[in-house]
Amino acid sequence: MAKVDVPVFNRELSWLEFNQRVLEEAKDESVPLMERVKFLAITASNLDEFFLVRVGSLVLLVAEGVTRSDASGLSPAQQLEAVVARVRTMVTDQYAVYTDLEQRLRASGMACLSAAELSPDQLVHAENVFDDEVFPVLSPVAIPAGTPFPALPGQSLNLAVRLKPAPDGTEPRYAVIPLPGILSRFIRLPGQGEVQAMIRLEDLTIRFIDRLFPGEPVVECVPFRITRNAAMGVEEDQSNDFLAEMTELLKRRKAGDCIRIETVPSISRMLLRYLQRGLQVPDTGVYEVSGPLNLAAWFQVAGLNAGKGLRYESWEPRYSPQVDLKQSVFDTLARRSVLLCHPYDSYEPVLRFIEDAAVDPGVLAIKQTLYRTSPDSRVMAALRRAAERGKSVTALVELKARFDEARNIEWAHALELSGVQVIYGVKGLKTHSKICLVVRRESTGIVRYLHLGTGNYNERTARMYSDISLLTSNADLGADASAFFHAVTGYTEPPAFLKLAMAPLGLRERLLERIESETERARQGQPAMITAKMNSLVDERLIEALYRASQAGVQVRLNVRGICCLRPGLKNSASITVVSVVDRYLEHARIFRFHAGGQDDLFISSADWMPRNLDRRVELLVPVDDEENRAYLTGILEAYYQDNVKAWRLLPDGRYVRLRPETNRKAFRSQEVLYRRACEAAESAEQLKPTVLEPHRPPTARGPA
Amino acid sequence: MSNDSPLETKPAVPAVAPDPVVRLVAVIELGTTSVRMALAQVQADGSFQPLETLQQALALGKDTFTTGVIGAETTEACVRALRQFNTALQEYQVPSANVRAIATSAVRESENREAFLDRLYIATGIGVDVIDEAEVNRFTYLAVAPLLQSVPALRDGETMIVEVGGGSTELLHLDRGTIVSAQTYRLGSLRLRRLLDEERAPEAKSGKILRSHVDRGVGQIQYSLPKNQNAALLALGGDARFAATQLDPKWDKRQVVKISVSALSKLTQDLLAMSADDMVQQYHVSYQDAETLGPALLVYVRLAQGLGLKQVLVGGATLRDGVLCEMASQGAWTDEFKRQILNSSTELGRRYHVDEPHAHQVADLSRQLFAALQAEHRLGPRHELLLNVAAMLHEVGAYVSTRNHHKHSLYLILNSDVFGLGARDLEQVALVARYHRRAPPKPAHEVYAMLGREERVTVCKLAAILRLADALDRGHVQSRRDLDVVIDRGECRIHIRQPSDLTLERQGVREKGELFEQVYGLKIVLQESADEVSHGQG
Repeated sequence: MAKVDVPVFNRELSWLEFNQRVLEEAKDESVPLMERVKFLAITASNLDEFFLVRVGSLVLLVAEGVTRSDASGLSPAQQLEAVVARVRTMVTDQYAVYTDLEQRLRASGMACLSAAELSPDQLVHAENVFDDEVFPVLSPVAIPAGTPFPALPGQSLNLAVRLKPAPDGTEPRYAVIPLPGILSRFIRLPGQGEVQAMIRLEDLTIRFIDRLFPGEPVVECVPFRITRNAAMGVEEDQSNDFLAEMTELLKRRKAGDCIRIETVPSISRMLLRYLQRGLQVPDTGVYEVSGPLNLAAWFQVAGLNAGKGLRYESWEPRYSPQVDLKQSVFDTLARRSVLLCHPYDSYEPVLRFIEDAAVDPGVLAIKQTLYRTSPDSRVMAALRRAAERGKSVTALVELKARFDEARNIEWAHALELSGVQVIYGVKGLKTHSKICLVVRRESTGIVRYLHLGTGNYNERTARMYSDISLLTSNADLGADASAFFHAVTGYTEPPAFLKLAMAPLGLRERLLERIESETERARQGQPAMITAKMNSLVDERLIEALYRASQAGVQVRLNVRGICCLRPGLKNSASITVVSVVDRYLEHARIFRFHAGGQDDLFISSADWMPRNLDRRVELLVPVDDEENRAYLTGILEAYYQDNVKAWRLLPDGRYVRLRPETNRKAFRSQEVLYRRACEAAESAEQLKPTVLEPHRPPTARGPA
Repeated sequence: MSNDSPLETKPAVPAVAPDPVVRLVAVIELGTTSVRMALAQVQADGSFQPLETLQQALALGKDTFTTGVIGAETTEACVRALRQFNTALQEYQVPSANVRAIATSAVRESENREAFLDRLYIATGIGVDVIDEAEVNRFTYLAVAPLLQSVPALRDGETMIVEVGGGSTELLHLDRGTIVSAQTYRLGSLRLRRLLDEERAPEAKSGKILRSHVDRGVGQIQYSLPKNQNAALLALGGDARFAATQLDPKWDKRQVVKISVSALSKLTQDLLAMSADDMVQQYHVSYQDAETLGPALLVYVRLAQGLGLKQVLVGGATLRDGVLCEMASQGAWTDEFKRQILNSSTELGRRYHVDEPHAHQVADLSRQLFAALQAEHRLGPRHELLLNVAAMLHEVGAYVSTRNHHKHSLYLILNSDVFGLGARDLEQVALVARYHRRAPPKPAHEVYAMLGREERVTVCKLAAILRLADALDRGHVQSRRDLDVVIDRGECRIHIRQPSDLTLERQGVREKGELFEQVYGLKIVLQESADEVSHGQG
């Protein structure tokens, strides 16, 4: 192993630990059943993406013979070996959880039956479904000896079929039946009493497999699933260590080699060898799982009607008392800036902000970034309405948003048709910042309003991800926002910002400056502290700076949901603690706080501390200045460090331990506390309001009072 | 989510757009290394706030100062930039009448400037005015005027305001806020670059060669400046701003910042030692800017060192601020600005040893006549100012020779810098001064021949007044004279309130009144009021 100057964890292994923490939620008895099923599905879908991109990269590097070590001192081959070993343990764990949850689902009246378990009624129904819906869309592919293996799409579920040798031959014959994605994985069956019954598509097909090969005895039929390498096309996702090599070899290698076969343990050696040969997958790429393939499909099961108590109680987003939605959002923002914490605080004010802008006669222009958004979203509708009303609307659309490309192109086109000026990203950079600028002409002149956030403009995820929104009419931020859009649209050279910092032009430098200034204060004996919440911490320069800060005595408290390459609690990092919160909402906000000699500087950001964010993405770092907002934000940031229910602590060896309330200490679940606080704020604001009887008016009477 | 909303009413929005009492104005500047746009809003009281600043690197100066012409590639890049600026202007619905586009030396000195400007106009609809050095000085002054009031060092002492451009260096010399002189020197960062390239100096020697070129230029500048170690040097321009930002990252560009000459010198040496690629990488500057930074900063350094200064000031004010200022005041020159122009002409007169009391007297009489004849000439305040300047300078030619001194006045004025006046203004001033005596304007006369009809008429009108004013001070009387002028039945009857013997003046009017009578169709009658005479003598 190569010598390491700065001890860090390998990012792949750190990511796998994150997935394990999600899996632990699926195991947690205190989590309602359907939520546990969902967590299990999340781990499977996460792991798929991990294979596509991360494992895919490692496989390519190994194939190319790259032997150089990454920052943690592991060569690509060593990483691949460690990753595969860790994944195998995790998959075993996943299926143990699956078996447990499957029984509980049955006990709760949701049964996924095997073919043998079907009642006569159910069998008749299943046969009808097979004949009417499944059979017509199946296309078995026979593979005559000596012909190449058929090109199967990645991530697809298939059946491998072994037939008896032909009468004139001795070799077994093979066929593959892709199970098309348009078919539902679960087929509903007539229930028995309270029980909702289903059968899985592959089980149904296997039950009637003879119909696909009339007169041909089927010797063996098993499901299998393949994963193709998708490391190409996601260059920006490569770690810095191997960027040059990856870019070079991606040019040469053809895309899409198969890197994983998942199948069931009952598969015969003969059939498995046949698949491995055909798909050119070594033993390390074969995963025999003791249960159904593709647990990500259990999202569908998690969505079934379920009895009381099987799901989290609903936490309806609250209307922040900072915004009175009966008024124009602009009136509110002219008075004060507003900080919201979603999903506890409703996303409605953000949507209203854009919707008001679309119809407000004083608004001249709307500019905004769109990364991942929902196609039927109110944001899109508002932007189109604004453009149709003759406002100048610019959407900076990022098409490279991973795995969302096709959907993005479709709605981007719809925007263009309405007259929105659509800009397809910045060359060589992914636009990841979340910013919406509204230019409004008022009697005192031009006023710029803006929304700056840590989450995408997506109403759906705004109910599931924990994110921060800042709505403001601060003139300096407004000027910066204008300059930002002119810069990313190529209208101007990148300017010197008044308040914002922008990646890749100086965001890392700004963070380094802040860390170093804390370090210097600590050296001079002053109190110094850094508190930062993010999704991932990978960037070596920032990690090194944090180690230096720790050595100087700065107290560093990190809340890193996912990958954390920083090793806390070593000699050079004794004063650094790392927690990770995994709960019902995906932690997504980036919040940074620097003590700054008591000045206490607070920032929100779209950027994780990763090379890809700081070097290859357009990201923003936004200071939060108003007293009230700062207090609110500090409260949010600090809550996570009190969590002793859903928080994990990172140990020096890379393991995570779940925190539990100490004896005589109350349980503190940060997400719940934040939700309760939002409720209390909304309620107390409601109580403070004078009671006004407001009659319903016909629509024409609405409008300005 | 809207279905979940407990709220009945949609947000209140005003039914009509607010009345735009605030004007939006924009300035586009085609500079040496970039094309820039400043968009500002002007309040009813004439104050303005910047809204947007856009900038794109463009090799205008590089083209002009190395090949003499602006290349097709640069032209098209400029078209693209202007189109994008247009889009930005449309976002704010800025009317095209509120957009002023100007170009400085890089365009002014290019051989194909007409074709270049025509291409821009056809492609973008933006008409670009090429401004001359004097206008650059004027806008610079307007831009720094607020600083001159607020910064004690600039208000109370002697100040050189210096901007090193790609083609030339502009220098305003002020004394206690008043302009002493405005000069333009052909010492520019891109010219220096070109000299280096032409000489194909080896890397090791290029620094030395550059320094010798800079020192030659700086020597010339210093020659015309007083040596005053207490003087302040205020550096303007993108290169100076870059240096100030490097040396003091917290600098608020609305203020001036003090930087030490030794730190500036160190930075300059570092920059000169770097390749353009390294500068672009390290400082995120454009390649165009990377070319000019080293040489331009070296000029500031050597100038400061030559003046014996330990520190220089850097200001964030730009030419565009000056143009915005003028647009905010809707083109009217402020009194303060007029005062600076007259001051500058007085200084120029002094250099040629004019009889100052006489010059002031003639200027004063011209002003009175101009006002009294308003209905006859229908000229505006700007022409009044030109007349005043001509009055202050009409006798500078006597410095060369008293014989034909009016002709010497013509070329001396044409070849001088009067702060605030552009080339066309100066032409008119020079001609008005030239025609203060002897032959009236003739189409065959040089310079006059080049004027358009309207300008010729203006020159005639102003020269006629100047002649008359000069005649009225034949006696070189030192005390102020107040005139009462009555236009009546083809006569211009002039009463001089202060009692005196008017014999000399009468003779003067006889000799010099002919042009006046031709231009205005009025016979001049000089009247003494008997009352006043007797009263005065009593």
